[in-house]
Amino acid sequence: MIEVKHLVKTYPARGGILKQKPVQAVKGVSFVLPDAGAVAFIGESGCGKTTIGRILTGLESYDSGEVLYDGVNLTRLPSAERREKLRKVQLIQQDPYAALNPSRTIAKTLMAPLALEAKRQQKSKAWMASRAREVLALVGLNPEVVLPKYPHMLSGGQRQRVVIARALTVEPDVLVADEAVSMIDVSLRLGILSLLLELRNKHGIAILFITHDVAAARYVGQDGRVCVIYQGEVVEEGVTDDLIQSPVHPYSQALLSAVPVLRGLEAPGPDRYIPLGEFQQDEGTACRFAPRCRYAEERCRTEKPRTVPYGNGGHRHRCHFPVARRVVAEPLEVNS
Amino acid sequence: MNASEPYSAAVGAGITIRNLTVTYHTDRGIFPALKDVSLDIRPQTITGFIGESGSGKTTLAMAIMNAIRTPGLIASGSIYTDGVGDVLKLQGESLRRVHGQHFGFVFQASSNSLNPLKRIGAQLLDLGRSHGIKDPRILLKEARALAERMGMDGDRVLTSYQHELSGGMRQRAGIIFALVLRAKVVILDEPTTALDMLSQQAVLEIIRQIHEERGLTSIIITHDMGVMAEIVQRVVVLYAGRVVEEGPTQDLLQRPRHPYTKGLIDAIPRITGDLAEAKPLAGSPPDLATVPTQGCVFRDRCSLRRPVCDLVEPLAQPAHGDGLVTCHGVNAHD
Repeated sequence: MIEVKHLVKTYPARGGILKQKPVQAVKGVSFVLPDAGAVAFIGESGCGKTTIGRILTGLESYDSGEVLYDGVNLTRLPSAERREKLRKVQLIQQDPYAALNPSRTIAKTLMAPLALEAKRQQKSKAWMASRAREVLALVGLNPEVVLPKYPHMLSGGQRQRVVIARALTVEPDVLVADEAVSMIDVSLRLGILSLLLELRNKHGIAILFITHDVAAARYVGQDGRVCVIYQGEVVEEGVTDDLIQSPVHPYSQALLSAVPVLRGLEAPGPDRYIPLGEFQQDEGTACRFAPRCRYAEERCRTEKPRTVPYGNGGHRHRCHFPVARRVVAEPLEVNS
Repeated sequence: MNASEPYSAAVGAGITIRNLTVTYHTDRGIFPALKDVSLDIRPQTITGFIGESGSGKTTLAMAIMNAIRTPGLIASGSIYTDGVGDVLKLQGESLRRVHGQHFGFVFQASSNSLNPLKRIGAQLLDLGRSHGIKDPRILLKEARALAERMGMDGDRVLTSYQHELSGGMRQRAGIIFALVLRAKVVILDEPTTALDMLSQQAVLEIIRQIHEERGLTSIIITHDMGVMAEIVQRVVVLYAGRVVEEGPTQDLLQRPRHPYTKGLIDAIPRITGDLAEAKPLAGSPPDLATVPTQGCVFRDRCSLRRPVCDLVEPLAQPAHGDGLVTCHGVNAHD
């Protein structure tokens, strides 16, 4: 289980003469990722969701707050023990083309982490070879076909499966999937998503799913939770289907409205709306979303909204005027 | 377009493609990227080309503009478009004029097609000069109006370098280039793949509005059925260089005839309804080098496979009223 409390991360100012301001990428984010659970972070580019994933996998430091892995705060541990804990949290990144070394066969790619693992567990070379086959089979690839190949000989979907197989070599407890399907052919995306779901359901691996694709988050996050993040703050969170069906924060509503409607199979939600303009970052108003919000009132510009519950189902939000609206598409009956 | 009266209203032109075959010549041999494609693109309609990587959707768009470059080669066929004639017969200066004035094109990843060393405005002036626009002020005014139309500050965009714009703004800047010469046919290659959902919806909405205002013929290339369903009026499904199905969007989504189209639709994770209904599409996208030379190219991934599929390549038959489907497993009359 991972518990994150009031996480804050600021990137220092860059450039001497330009005098850029420091960027606060994550502003007091808290959440819990239970064992074998799923939490999805959804938001647009630059909202801080990737930073959260990088902090959890130990690739990035943080300024304040706490990250507890099974109740332990890693910042107080000696580095060897910290590495040991972080090994159990693996990152799957967006680009399977960049994540694999083009000059190594898949066999070689998998042997590198397996060699370390074999040393740790005092296993033989034969164990390594059989484990490589095992993880490839687990991600739905045929080991005999794939092992001797180089990355360029595989499709995007197959490469992402190899990346996931490599992460599985260390028997992780948590996978952080950062836009893990956005560069993959749409026809193959569902295959990767159902693989992640299977790893969760059958092998008890928790998934932190970072995406701008709400439908993908819904698929992997079945029975999990969704956090909607805007400019480094969680503006709304709740049980996946509950939040998708009745979002109360106008930003969540805008994001959910933007999911394409399969006309002919679905009808647009009655409250759907699409904001057209380009948006300015950080206007310094009390509610950060106020400048873009179609429902903003004076209070939103002067008084910062706090996170409060909505109903009794663990649904929370950060809005002065929460109203549940139906913005996502609804299925149509089709006679075929 | 006459340079002295550059801004007459653009009205979309139809495109008639007949028996188009495009081959790629590589070390490993000669591969057909498109094989015997015959297709009508209806005027003043948004048509979508959908397919996986390697399906030939971008090749088809490039061929329509006679812009295939080596190692590709247009082996045979004809492409007629209203007001131009057979595009494949054009070359040199007359072909260059048609690019930009008849065909507007937005590349996939627009950020890569803008010059990083020049301001957007300067690049627009280059475009105008190369197309003989005598009064650059009219061009810039048009560009500014388009930028504002798309929710951006026109002056800011024109005086910016590409790195000063966000991904969504660059994509919109690319669309300005495609539209500023009043092209009649606008081709957009994956116009929203690099964008997050909110920018994607905004860009799609803008494309739809400008399409209607100008009465354009628009072609959108995508691998995303959601984008397709949201904006296009007719869908062309491509697989391994063949058109396997074509028809009006709603009917095609409701009643897909080709097993590949059905597979693509079933593989969409949905925001609503039963998640268990989503089914991954089996197999891998076609690789030009391993596409069977005989029989149906989709048979290895197909649920309706029959003995005839191994031997005979299926012919197009009518479907969706005025559309088509290319499959042995579907009967045109059922």
